[in-house]
Order: sequence, then structure tokens, then C-alpha cells
Amino acid sequence: MCVAYPGTVIEVKDRSAVVDFSGTKVEAMCGLVRTKPGDRVLVHAGCILEVLPKEDADEMQNIFDELAALDEDDLREKAGR
Amino acid sequence: MLEQTVTMAHGSGGESTGRLIAELFAKNFSNEYLDRMTDSSVVPGSAQIAMTTDSFVVTPVEYPGGDIGRLAVCGTVNDLLMSGAVPKYLTAGFILEEGLPMETLRRVVKSMADTAREAGVLIVTGDTKVVENHSSDAKGEGGLYINTAGVGFVPEGTRLDAASIRPGDKILVSGTLGEHHATILAKRMGLENESLESDNAPLDDIVNHLRTSGAAVRAMRDVTRGGLATVLSEFVLSSGQQIEIEESLIPVKKPVRDFCGILGLEPVYMGNEGKLIAVIAPEDASKALDAVRSAKYGENAAIIGEVTGDHGEGSAELILKTPVGGRRVLGPLYGEGLPRIC
Amino acid sequence: MNSFDKIKAYLSSYDGPDVHIMEVCGTHTASIAKNGIPAMLSPHIRLISGPGCPVCVTVTDYIDRLIALSQNEKNVICSFGDLLRVPGSESSLSLARADGAHIEMVYSPVQMLDKARRDPDHDYIFAAVGFETTAPVYALLIDEAERLGIPNVKLLTGLKTMPQVIRWVVSSAKSAGETTEREDKSDEGRIDGFLAPGHVCAVTGYGEYEKLAAETGMPFVVSGFTGPQLIASIFRLVQLRGKDTCENLYPEVVSRSGNAPAKSAVKKYFEPCDAAWRGMGIIPMSGLCLRQDYMHRDAGSFGLTGDHAGRGCRCASVLTGKIRPTECPLFGKACTPQNPNGACMVSQEGSCYNWYVGGRTR
Repeated sequence: MCVAYPGTVIEVKDRSAVVDFSGTKVEAMCGLVRTKPGDRVLVHAGCILEVLPKEDADEMQNIFDELAALDEDDLREKAGR
Repeated sequence: MLEQTVTMAHGSGGESTGRLIAELFAKNFSNEYLDRMTDSSVVPGSAQIAMTTDSFVVTPVEYPGGDIGRLAVCGTVNDLLMSGAVPKYLTAGFILEEGLPMETLRRVVKSMADTAREAGVLIVTGDTKVVENHSSDAKGEGGLYINTAGVGFVPEGTRLDAASIRPGDKILVSGTLGEHHATILAKRMGLENESLESDNAPLDDIVNHLRTSGAAVRAMRDVTRGGLATVLSEFVLSSGQQIEIEESLIPVKKPVRDFCGILGLEPVYMGNEGKLIAVIAPEDASKALDAVRSAKYGENAAIIGEVTGDHGEGSAELILKTPVGGRRVLGPLYGEGLPRIC
Repeated sequence: MNSFDKIKAYLSSYDGPDVHIMEVCGTHTASIAKNGIPAMLSPHIRLISGPGCPVCVTVTDYIDRLIALSQNEKNVICSFGDLLRVPGSESSLSLARADGAHIEMVYSPVQMLDKARRDPDHDYIFAAVGFETTAPVYALLIDEAERLGIPNVKLLTGLKTMPQVIRWVVSSAKSAGETTEREDKSDEGRIDGFLAPGHVCAVTGYGEYEKLAAETGMPFVVSGFTGPQLIASIFRLVQLRGKDTCENLYPEVVSRSGNAPAKSAVKKYFEPCDAAWRGMGIIPMSGLCLRQDYMHRDAGSFGLTGDHAGRGCRCASVLTGKIRPTECPLFGKACTPQNPNGACMVSQEGSCYNWYVGGRTR
């Protein structure tokens, strides 16, 4: 229901911000979050939904490591190998 | 001197039509057959001939990377090439709306002539009609539609047929996908963009390089509307062979990937106007890849998968192996490929 | 083997008790299909697509009203692309457009603001469907229209909210346990856990879903939308089977309390109302409509509850996980993406569409 995609803020105006997606420039509403040029943001239907942390890849790796560590015993047991 | 805009008089068959033809079409497309200005052009040639026709209605008529004139030549030339023919002659039928700026028409015709030269074909006959302005665009300028038909000669011994696809054959794509579709859609949806450019191009050089490489090509198709998934689905259907492709190997430029991302579209379903898929015998795959990469418009070619065989009566599918290790059946494009937001 | 590979190996070889997981968000449905995730799961893990594709849950009355509005020369309808092909009781926006109605496909509601300003002689009506994620976008649109004094910007609202329909699905799944329609009665439309909608939660916060977990006794995991994020969340739900907890595996975007400016913008312009869901009927307080003070922005959104879906269409049972798309008698026969009968076959986020296009059978 809610396609949202990350882009980079290149200019902040009064009530909108120009967000760049590798060359596609979208003037997005920015009434929901404080943002500044250089921010990675999540845009839904021409509106900035959230500011993203700089490196989300690492975040995901951390989640995997936590999940796998948390359930190390369980993994061995239930996978039955 | 031609008028500033196209009017109904340009389609009258009278003096205005004559000037339009002489000052614009004949001048740009000039060659010995067209210049005779006969009711039909008599051209030399004797071989198996390939014929095709296509109509072009794209809006906007000019876009980054091409225009409707270049498209009208490439579309027909590429269709001839895909059946193994060497394209030779084109016809050009124009339907103009009154109010079309003459300058726009001039640029389109010039571009068409340049593209025909690039692709090595002659435009040998043509026709022009003018209709009322149906345009709904804000500027109220008239539109422009082109039909081209093409004739090519098929060299002795050429056989390209999806039915000859065999297990183990490799799938080669001649370059990055989705650029034409993304460019046009961005324009239509009013999204500003400076990094998208249509891939609008004739494929003759790629096909010639493939031919001279001696690689065994089983089948070829240009990847136009419906995108890669639609073309490969048709190969699966007509050959009864399963095809498996690797998503991470499919070349897509970052601007197109991101454009698809914001609209919820997929590059494998995006249309192209200068890309082909070739199915190559396994032992010739690297030879074919080198050949295509050394050709004009083929520098980003890649082998993206292979034919895995006949999986029993009617059960062959097109499988996309995803980067996370999943497998997904790809069907042809359904509907219009509308962007999804919600 | 790295941790991601371990998780994938676990999911493909899992042979514990069956786990039925519902993804309520249509964007999750689309991304699960796009990543080929069903093929990575053991047969004991089943994914069910829920009612979170706004296009799929739109009733025919709403589409009919849009078409009627589009017939008035004074109006221009703006819509997201997906909605154009949804069948109303007789036609679709796509067909109306082919007959010359003014219907424009836009990327963002904001694009309508400019169009309306430049063309004061027409009313610009946005087909405002969506969930909590999109509601703030409409709120900002109205906010701008009010501030700039652009009177000809209007909404036809069909906005819906998640928690109420999740409750409805859970109670309906429980009652289905007693009167199942499946031949294979072993799983009986059961649900063991939910992938909570990440971008809805970005706005509302996941606090709502902690309440739902406690209420329903089921685990909820807030998930992002990439393949790895979805796989991690599915893994966690399998682990949490039987527990009434809510975990947030999308912390880079989602917080417990959500986005305060978004919530207050929505509150300023909209209020909860009863809403009609395709095939499910009216669910109390499961929608949003414009407040009385902003009724001048409404294009006639009230009373759109009639739902005349095609004969034999089982969208409702599909949307609530009672039957699989392939179990609908129309699936792939009288209902295909080329010629959809129900809305689930229209949207790229619809479960029927994804099953059909992806050749999915389980």
C-alpha cells in the first residue's frame, strides 16, 4: 500500500524540498520531518516520510547477527541437520 | 519557404503539399529511387525478402535520446534485423495534425533521415496526410504520427526460430534495460529528470558483429514494449523450454533503477527501443558476448541466464533468481504497466 | 555460513508446527513476490496476503462516483496509476478516460496543486485512497490549498486505517475455524502472526501494534520492504509463534510513537469514520474522512458503501486469508489481469495478481 523510496535532499525550500533519485528530481513536501541538504530521506507519494540513518546496510547486518545469535541453539535444533 | 505551422492545406494534395514534400521530405530523404517521385518506387533485389510495418504514436514526439522520427526508423529496421534480414528499404507515411509547428516536423524529418543513414536503409517512398488537431496538451500544438514499412533481404541459410532453442543455451541481452520507457514516462508524468535518456537506436551493428563472429544464434528478439520478461516469456512459450535468469546479472542503470523504485515499477517489464535478446549456443556464448560488446550500442551487453530444458508437458516457465536467493516466475506484462504508489 | 545464510537455511528446512503469517500491507505482498520469497520457505511456513492494498479494498460505489464526477466537464480527476483499472459496477476510470473523461495519472497529490492553480475554471479532485501512510500527504495537500487559497482542490476520500481491519480479520479467521470452506481443513484460515506494515507504522508508531499483539495473543513484527528485511521478519515471526509480543525490525524508520507532525496534520483535517471494504462490508471507525470544517474540500465522499463486485468474486475470502487465490472459482478463468473481475486481480499489490503473474500455487 505504501511504496516509499530513498533519495537525497539537495535543496530545502519553504515548505518543500528537492529530492534527487539519481537524476530524477522530485519536489517533495517536507512538512512531516526536519531535513537539510545531504540527508537521505524516504519519500512516499511526493512527501518526505522520514530521514534515514547514513548507513542502513550495517543496520540490517546487525539485525541478522542479533537474530542468528539469539537463536543459535534453536537454529541447530529445529533445522534438524 | 514553408509556413510556421502545419495547416490543412498541407494535406490538400495541391501546391502546399508539393512544397512540403519538396522542401522537407524529398530534401532530407533524398536517394535515387525516392527522387524519381513515382507513384511507387521500383527497387532492385532478389532474395528471400522480409517485410514488416509499424506505426509510431509516441508522445512527446521529442524526448531525451531520440524522437518519433528516429523511433520510426529504428523500430522497423530492428524488426527486420530480428528475422535475420538485412534491412534495405523503408516507406514513410506521415499523419500530421494541423497546428504542428513546422520546426518540430523539420527536426523530426532530419532525425529520421540521419537515423536511416546510420542504419544503412533508404526511404524510397512516402505519404503525408493532415488531420484536424485532436491534441489535448496545454500548448494546443498539433501531433504527429508516423508509419514505416520496411523491406530487407534474408541471406541464404539464415534460420532464427525460438523453436530451435535448446537446453544449455545462453541468454544474452545487448545492454541496460528500461531507459526508453523511463524517459517517456517521466515526461508524461511531469517528473523532472536530467539523467534519463532513451536508448532509441538501430541494432544493425550489433547484429552484424554477431553474424561475423560466427556464433551460433538460435533466436533473436528486440526488447520493446512489455520488456525483457515479456519477450523471454514468449520464447518459453514457443520453445517449450524453461529459461532461468539471474536478477543480479541484468544490466540496469542506476537512474532507471531509482526511477522504477519511486513509481513501484520493474525494469524487467520496462520497454526499450534499442536492445535485443539473443539465445546463443553455450560454446559460443563468450564469443558472442565479445562481439556484441565491441559493437555500437552493445558495450553493456551481458549474459544473464540460460535455457534449463524441457520440464515436462507445458510446465516450462521463465524463472527469475533473485539476489536474496529466491525464485520467482515471471509472466508477460499485463495491463499498461501503470505506476503503483499505494 | 554467515548469519543471513543461517536464517535462510532455517526457513527453508523448518519442520516445526505450521506457521501462518499474514502480511497486511500490499507493498509487502508485492515485495515478497518480487524477491521470490515463497520459494525459499519450508511448506510449514505459509504467507497469507491481507487487506492492505488500498486499491483492492475500494468498493464499486467509490469507483462509480469517481466515474460520475469525471463525466462533469467542470472536473478533472487525478489519481495514482493503479486505481485506473479497478472495475466499478459497470466501467473503470481507464475506460472512462478512453471515452474522453478528464482523468490524469499523477505521481504525487502535490502535482495537483499546481495544475489547480493554473486552471481555476476546473475542480481538481484527487482520488484519495490509501492508509495511514498516505493520509498525511493528503493532509499536507489540503493544508497548502488552504494556505494558498486555491479553492478548486478537492478530495474524494476512501481512506482506511489498519488496526480496525486487523481486528476484523482476526475475529473473522477465528470464526472461520468453525465453519471452514476449505477442502483441506487442517489450517482453516488460521493466522499465527502478522508482518506489521512498516510505512504505516512510520506514521502511527508501533505502539498500536503492541496493543494488537496483547489483544489478539499473536506476534507482530514491524518489517521493512527489502528482501533481507522481509526474510528477517518472517524468521522472527516463526520464532515468536504463540507469543503476544510486538517487535520492531525496521528501527531506522519506525519508532514506538511514530511521526508527530504527520499525526497532528491528519488529526487537523480528518476524523475517523465507518468505512466500506470491498467484500468485507462496513467496518466501524476503520476509515478517515474530512472534518466538518473542511467539507468544502470534499467531492461527495459520503454514503459510498455499495459494493457490487462481479458474481462469484471471492475477493473478501482471499483478502482475509480464508481461501487462497487459486481456490476462487474465477481465478485464472473469468478473472485474469487482462480482464479482472475483482480488485485483487487489478493491483500489482493484489494477492490474486501476484499469484497469477508469479504462477504461485502455495
